[in-house]
Amino acid sequence: MEIGTAKITVLVGEYTGRELAIIGCGECQSRGVIKGSVVDYKAASECTHAALEQAERDAGERVDCVFLAQTGGHLEGFYNQAAVNVKSADNMIDRDDIRTVCDLAKSKELPSGRMVVHHIRRPYRVDGRLVPTSPENLVGQRLEVGYWTVHGQEQRLADNIHVIRGFNLEVRELVLSSLAAGHMVTTPEERQHGVLAIDIGGGTTDYVLYRDGVAHTTGVLPVGGAHFTNDLSIGLRLTEGQAEKLKLRFGRAMVQAKDKGEKVWLDGNFAIGDRQFPRQAIEQILAARAWELLEVVRKKLGPSFSPEACAAGVVLTGGTAKLPGLTECAGKVFGVPAHVGEAPSWVAENLREPGYQTALGLLYYGLSSQAEKAASARSRGGFLSGFTRLFAHA
Amino acid sequence: MNRDTPPPASRSWRDIPQQVKPRAMSSGGRRRLLIATLGWLGGLTAAAALGAGVWLVSESWRNPGSIPGAKPVPIRDIALVDPNGVLDRDWLVRTLALPPGATLGGLDLPGLRARIMASGQVAEAALFRIYPAALSVHVTERAPVARVMGQADGRSPHPFLVARDGTVYDGVGYPPAVVSSLPWLAGVKLERRGPGFAPLAGMAARGARPGAADLLAQAKLEAEHLYRTWKVVSLARLDSDGVIVVRPAAGPTVTFGTQEDFSRQLAKLDWLLDTLRARGTGASAIDLSLAYGGSHQVTVTPGPADQAQAAPPASAAVPAFQLLSHPIPSVPREF
Repeated sequence: MEIGTAKITVLVGEYTGRELAIIGCGECQSRGVIKGSVVDYKAASECTHAALEQAERDAGERVDCVFLAQTGGHLEGFYNQAAVNVKSADNMIDRDDIRTVCDLAKSKELPSGRMVVHHIRRPYRVDGRLVPTSPENLVGQRLEVGYWTVHGQEQRLADNIHVIRGFNLEVRELVLSSLAAGHMVTTPEERQHGVLAIDIGGGTTDYVLYRDGVAHTTGVLPVGGAHFTNDLSIGLRLTEGQAEKLKLRFGRAMVQAKDKGEKVWLDGNFAIGDRQFPRQAIEQILAARAWELLEVVRKKLGPSFSPEACAAGVVLTGGTAKLPGLTECAGKVFGVPAHVGEAPSWVAENLREPGYQTALGLLYYGLSSQAEKAASARSRGGFLSGFTRLFAHA
Repeated sequence: MNRDTPPPASRSWRDIPQQVKPRAMSSGGRRRLLIATLGWLGGLTAAAALGAGVWLVSESWRNPGSIPGAKPVPIRDIALVDPNGVLDRDWLVRTLALPPGATLGGLDLPGLRARIMASGQVAEAALFRIYPAALSVHVTERAPVARVMGQADGRSPHPFLVARDGTVYDGVGYPPAVVSSLPWLAGVKLERRGPGFAPLAGMAARGARPGAADLLAQAKLEAEHLYRTWKVVSLARLDSDGVIVVRPAAGPTVTFGTQEDFSRQLAKLDWLLDTLRARGTGASAIDLSLAYGGSHQVTVTPGPADQAQAAPPASAAVPAFQLLSHPIPSVPREF
């Protein structure tokens, strides 16, 4: 389930023991949610529960638990690393060494009112040598590891959980939206070579930078497609509905010279109130916002991002990724090729829209973790480590 | 940081309590909560019912008649189902000797079965409770093939019946004509076992060697005119010589061997007796035990011709024995 600013999406999946199947879908226009955070509990509950009921009806099954996408401007991340000297006499790294260095790297205390959402492990290093998988039984003197820790505000996290619990459903896992969407629109090869996935939703923009096959840096900006609409509304003195309509019909994130003299009708039905706007004005407003948004993402990434370390380019997803010209804009801002992410071939045609990638990623994660559990019959570790395995080692 | 001391754990989103008050739920959520609660209650009720059922069954098994709330009903009917002999319901009621007002739940079925099986006449017995108030008893009886004189439990000597398997029992309910038609057994030693006797050895077949019961059954079936005259069957030499000696009411004593088929021996005996009768020759003993393994020798000890032998029976023209498929081979000329 993704509780977004623009819409709430629920996908119901079933793991039959051999295959993963999407058996139901529920969608509802979001209310009471601003920039990924619940601001009106009742309104948010109503639309969330409506989407859940619709998904249950569509699936013909009762939902057991929920994997919830987590976004919002309150989410932040930091990197912390730790190192230990290998304790055994023969310098062979054992499980105890690995556990110790991982615990140390995750042990940084958070400010009051903050809670960990994810610990995303980066590759181990043994005497400075990068080890993509487990360093157990390797020989070395110094073992290092770092974690990108994502944390959020306790009240905001609790609000999201309580909205789901209001439908008497258990939240089995909170998954960062950017990780869920990023995992769906990028391939393992792209993640290995370095890729930046940006999910531009209605109220927030989630991004994740992959390097060496794992999530390196994540972030959330409280800016999304709604701000594009708002800019148009203010700039052209329109209502939000009119601005949204113009954005969808004529919006473009890059100014095109050929559109300089073109004018477009607001409604096109010649009714009272219908009027013309210069198309270039629409493009200029949207392009300025798109450029600014992507620039902020680049600044937030800081030294973590460099065109050389992002060989696979930028992948855009989310509802706003459909805005024409946004890929060119991203290519210019980041200096690498950009494209709109595509869902894997096994996804049904009606779910291939960029707006569904986060929910699909959640479903993929949830069902994969169940399949993984069933296959390996390994109960220790839990979902959190399962998540780390899936997103950190894939 | 010391690696032996675990670092402080940061608070995770999992520490957020997920419980919400019902009033914070939507109508759909409350409905789901209600269904879930009812499901739990239903499951608990089903589990409790199952447990109570298991307890009742085990309790009734361990302590029959103690099921609380179940009103005991006195047994109204005792039925002897599919009897194959002479025992009747009266005997069954006498043997069971149930106290007045006994209930099905209070019956000790294994004990009652043992009571029925104490009679050697019963080969197998099974008792069934037929609720609400009937007891059904299936009894398989032994059939007598001989009788033997014995003395048990300080009583005066009286005849006991012997079944094919050698069981010695006090026959109940047999017509006197049936009992008096049975030959007496001689040369056997009755051994006491409990209130009765141990089964007689030599009656039943032992391995390849046939027993006396086989001879009696075959004679009754195939040569009843001879069997009717047999008064005493002696097993005295069965163990030592492997022979069974039959003394009829009149005529020669016949010795049967256990090496050869009884049918052939009976056929020879029938032919010999007819021949002797036709010649008017008397014999005191006929030994058929030598004629086996290709030998056809039959020893006939001469003796006075008696009336029964001299007068050929009415059926002599058409021998009663029909099973012999080939003519009797050479008969010794010694007689």
